[in-house]
Amino acid sequence: MNRQALRGLLVSVLAVVLALAASLAVIALTGAPVGKAAAAMWDGVFGSPAQFGATLTKFVPLVLAAIGWVIASRAGRLNVGLEGQILAGGTTAAVVGLYLTGLPTVLHLTIAVLAGAVGGALLGGVAAWLWARRGVNDFIATLLLTLIMTQVVSWLANGPMEEPTGTLGQSASVADSARWPVLLPRTTLRADIILVIILVLVAAYVLRRTVVGYRLRLTGANESAARATGTRTTLVGVAALCASAAVAGVAGSSLVLAAPAANLAPGFSAGYGFDGIVVALLARNSPLGCIPAALLLAALRQGGGLLEARVGISSGLVTATQAVVILLVTGTAWYADRRRSRSRPPGAADVAAPVAEGARS
Amino acid sequence: MNPFDIALFAAAIRLSVPLLLAALGELISERGGVINIGLEGMMLFGAYAAFITAWATGSVSLGLAAGIALGLLAASIMAFVSVTLRGDQIVVGVALNLLAAGVTMFLYRLQFQGTQPTTVRMEPYAVPLLSDIPGIGPVLFDQLPLVYVAYVLGPIVAYLLFRTRGGLRVRSAGEKPEVLDSTGVNVVRVQWSGVLAAGGLAGLAGAFLSVGQVGLFAENMTAGRGFLALAAVVFGQWRPYGVVAACLVFGFTDALQLRLQSMGELPREVWIALVVIGVVVAAAGVWRARSSGSPLRWVLLAAVLCVVAGGLGAAMLPSFVLPSQFWLSLPYVLSLVALAVAGRGVRAPAMVGRPLPSRG
Repeated sequence: MNRQALRGLLVSVLAVVLALAASLAVIALTGAPVGKAAAAMWDGVFGSPAQFGATLTKFVPLVLAAIGWVIASRAGRLNVGLEGQILAGGTTAAVVGLYLTGLPTVLHLTIAVLAGAVGGALLGGVAAWLWARRGVNDFIATLLLTLIMTQVVSWLANGPMEEPTGTLGQSASVADSARWPVLLPRTTLRADIILVIILVLVAAYVLRRTVVGYRLRLTGANESAARATGTRTTLVGVAALCASAAVAGVAGSSLVLAAPAANLAPGFSAGYGFDGIVVALLARNSPLGCIPAALLLAALRQGGGLLEARVGISSGLVTATQAVVILLVTGTAWYADRRRSRSRPPGAADVAAPVAEGARS
Repeated sequence: MNPFDIALFAAAIRLSVPLLLAALGELISERGGVINIGLEGMMLFGAYAAFITAWATGSVSLGLAAGIALGLLAASIMAFVSVTLRGDQIVVGVALNLLAAGVTMFLYRLQFQGTQPTTVRMEPYAVPLLSDIPGIGPVLFDQLPLVYVAYVLGPIVAYLLFRTRGGLRVRSAGEKPEVLDSTGVNVVRVQWSGVLAAGGLAGLAGAFLSVGQVGLFAENMTAGRGFLALAAVVFGQWRPYGVVAACLVFGFTDALQLRLQSMGELPREVWIALVVIGVVVAAAGVWRARSSGSPLRWVLLAAVLCVVAGGLGAAMLPSFVLPSQFWLSLPYVLSLVALAVAGRGVRAPAMVGRPLPSRG
């Protein structure tokens, strides 16, 4: 692990510790018993197998959304619309799960998950097209598409896809053959977490060890250099946006196919797309780092629920804590990303440095 | 029954005002090169601060001041992290939205334990003489005082941005900060002022929602209006009067949507209005093609589609109900289509979404 990565880790850990300490201080200020609040948080995450299973269930969409952000941002693209792509992926997965019946379990589930990826990628593809062909900012396009997609899902769940009685404002449950099998009995944890871990490993491998990943990172790090070495940077940007959206789409499919109700309801994502950005940031855009970071955020989300029930502290505090973590990490990015430029002794530099020195003089 | 009556236009103006306030501030910020995804959060902060102050003091004007103050405070966080420390603007904006949602929910529940108290709210003020004009008088000039502020804000922002030295600096900071820097101007300070303008106005917009209109606060009461204001800046193509027009259009569709919900199927007047919109779009497109040579193809296609669909609808009166979600997503669709059609001539300021180059 090099010095820069170590600094990044330090910053992330410090940010989390500071933010948690600050929120404990706030709890103390309100007069609520701090010890009891901390115990409630702990029980909310680890108190019982069911609680821990619920934490891991929240981990799944978080880590996938984070991987989506990492893929796009490594290529220099800002995919703020992960939330919309999650919604799109969940919708296509629900369509396949509801209306394509009579298939054997494994096949049906596979098709439904793939449909989720395709649904996400389609919405990401629209943004990518707008960006590449029409010169629209990637973050403006993805954000607007998210706002549109929220309405589309609300319409589908209240209209064409509503369950037969037409009163609940959500779709019927998908066919059993399209649902993820339960992994831990008596918890909400389902087998999709295995797929998720595999996806994270694949993303880490592709980004780090393959030519495609190299070109992607090169495009993000220095676009003109990438173009000069023969990388088609626009194509890379489009591919990165689509891949990022596809991963978010898988997250959406999990939110439908692995949920207890397994149906399409308005707002079924509840901000996972935006929280995924927090996770990626905390992991400093490292795919493997997303795993611990997502676990942490999932625990915060899960533990926050019990905090409200037991101590009467609203879960808004947990949301605010997340925000403080983002602000601390973003605000100190300059420190973690700082290159060893001045302190480096002459001669110890890598090959590029003397050339740059020469060009300047 | 004709949906286009005076009450509709009055509602449209009322719904446009918070958008106008927030969007014109955001326009200054984006012209300066800082996009503020946290606009929604700043509005929510403003709404909360205004409510709690008005509740505690019983004064509407103190509430408005508190709304602006908390908006400014949130904007300082935004500016400090994204401008001074060069953090990612988008990410900081996301954080501010989370922060506002979390903090306001936490404090509100802590204070009121599930009750929802009401407080004083702003009284309408009828402008003498002007409000007596038949027809438009009561619509335009018998409104809340903040509405009149919104009327003059568009011209003020246009003047500031395009006729003053400060405006020139803001616009340069958004396009070529290194040039501005080379003339000895502190670019960081210029961007700070843009972000603060956005925060203060967003706070005021939020205050308009809470103490201006209803005299109470609800969790997440901005309900996406910050994003709508962001879309208005895009739809208005980063020009002051464009933004004003965008806010009026969005406010009008919102009012129409609310009205149509109670009416069932679309009345003939709405179809006729669609024809009129098509004609106006075509005229505007031709005029712009003459003056600036922008491409006409897509604009004309859209106009023809509007006219044909409107004409067919008015003639046959098909009996279907457009879902409310159609109207709610319309502003975003319009913004995206406008961006896609406008081509590369119309684009966000160059520095939007990018940190300033660090010095030394």
